[in-house]
Amino acid sequence: MAPMRSALSMSALTFVLVLGGGAPALAAEDAVHIKYRQKVMTGVGADMGAISDILKNGLPYTAAIALHADRLGDSAALIPTAFSKNVSTGATDAKPEIWQKADEFERAIQALEDAADDLEEAADDEEPAAIAKAFKTLGKACGGCHDTFRKPKEESYKNQ
Amino acid sequence: MARAFGAALAWLGLAGAATAQTATLPASIGRGEAVLRAAGGCTCHTNYPGEGDDAPELAGGRGLETPFGTFYSTNITPHRKTGIGTWSDADFLRAMTEGRAPDRSHYFPVFPYPAFSNMTRRDLLDLKAYLFSLTPVERENLPPDALPPFRLRAAVAGWKLLNFRPGSFEADAAQSPAWNRGAYLVNGPAHCGECHTPRTLSGGLDRSRWLAGSAEGPEGELAANITPDRRTGIGEWSATDLAWYLETGIKPDGDDTQGLMAEVIEHGYAHVDAADRRAIAEYLLSLPPIEHEMKAPDAGK
Ligand code: HEC
Ligand code: HEC
Repeated sequence: MAPMRSALSMSALTFVLVLGGGAPALAAEDAVHIKYRQKVMTGVGADMGAISDILKNGLPYTAAIALHADRLGDSAALIPTAFSKNVSTGATDAKPEIWQKADEFERAIQALEDAADDLEEAADDEEPAAIAKAFKTLGKACGGCHDTFRKPKEESYKNQ
Repeated sequence: MARAFGAALAWLGLAGAATAQTATLPASIGRGEAVLRAAGGCTCHTNYPGEGDDAPELAGGRGLETPFGTFYSTNITPHRKTGIGTWSDADFLRAMTEGRAPDRSHYFPVFPYPAFSNMTRRDLLDLKAYLFSLTPVERENLPPDALPPFRLRAAVAGWKLLNFRPGSFEADAAQSPAWNRGAYLVNGPAHCGECHTPRTLSGGLDRSRWLAGSAEGPEGELAANITPDRRTGIGEWSATDLAWYLETGIKPDGDDTQGLMAEVIEHGYAHVDAADRRAIAEYLLSLPPIEHEMKAPDAGK
């Protein structure tokens, strides 16, 4: 009887350990995914901000625009990995729609990649009008995804 | 100084003697379109959220959530039965500057007439000419889902006594023409304050925190503090940053713009003269900074 009893209490203990220690571990794991994806997005913002600085201040760095655009294309390729884990609670502005409408999310990534390619080409050609147009389309590619898949400012973790 | 003032008046097409001259000019559809853009494209009158990019332009029906209930924007196409097609110039001016319908009933203050009452007669009549050049759309207006007492239009009269002083923009002779132009746009057609100023308990704009950010803007949106406070506002932005933002929606940190602001940029401010965006920036960044940290209305709950 005694061994049986201790086996039981052992499994009860394991149960407690898994439940009690497991839940926070899961939340911590989620937070790591969230931090990574936000870094990918912050990188996207940094290139976008750098291109803006060149254009709005008239800096003579047209070749640099092409490099930033190239990096935005690379960042687009990181987005599927960055959002592979379904987490939309905690310190994140990701909406559950990302995983509910996966096709639409993929199209939004593709739109970012295409717009980045177009800007790179326009910058390579040193065509100011084409650069301005491609930059506008690129900005729309951000909104095209954020409108549906990113929480609005009043729900943002940054404003809680 | 006197010269700068004269130049400001000429640029604004404003006030006193200037009005007497300009009022006789025939209203211009082309100028009217520019006025519509300066007003952010009047996108509240287009139901983009409900009907997407195919929504009939300016035909109303868009629900605007406010702490006082949901109001539906009206049809401002020149349809004679369901729009404003039978309005006279006087009807249009009364609506825009006094917030009263042709039958003299009061409009709910979700319609930003406090700002529009600062607009020049000429800008308003040009805007009307432009609206009347559009294709009429047949669409009935919807009654509001307002909370009491705002369910009653008559109650709006009381609200107005408390909260509404019809404006008339006056140029400041001590400032540059560009600054005055910016002041006119911000406080008049562009109506930045209607979204970016917090409201008092009775729903009026809190004048002591003008442009200092509202956590309960139209559609429940959080609109940032746009006074030049370094920590809680846009004090770190340069005039170029701000002008660029009003053209592209891209912030200095590279982030884009969401919600209603993205709409008023895309359909409005992006299309005004570059000089007007710079004028807005010059004026806004010259205002006294107000420290007001923005948080969502239910933050911390
Ligand atoms: C395919 C969808 C998608 C595209 C395209 C996209 N974003 Fe995002 N972005 C998101 C999502 C989702 C979030 C919220 C991430 C989170 O908080 O977990 C986000 C968040 C951000 C953030 C905030 C990051 C943080 O630390 O909270 C910035 C900045 C940003 N995006 C910039 C951009 C810019 C600039 C572009 C266009 C060049 C862009 N994004 C294009 C989906 C996208
Ligand atoms: C219809 C409502 C509305 C009007 C009109 C409006 N805004 Fe906004 N604005 C918003 C909202 C909502 C946001 C938040 C969106 C975001 O940050 O992505 C915002 C964001 C901004 C920001 C970004 C601030 C920051 O710190 O990120 C600036 C700057 C701004 N508005 C300036 C203006 C100016 C200048 C005007 C007038 C010329 C104006 N806005 C008119 C609703 C409005």
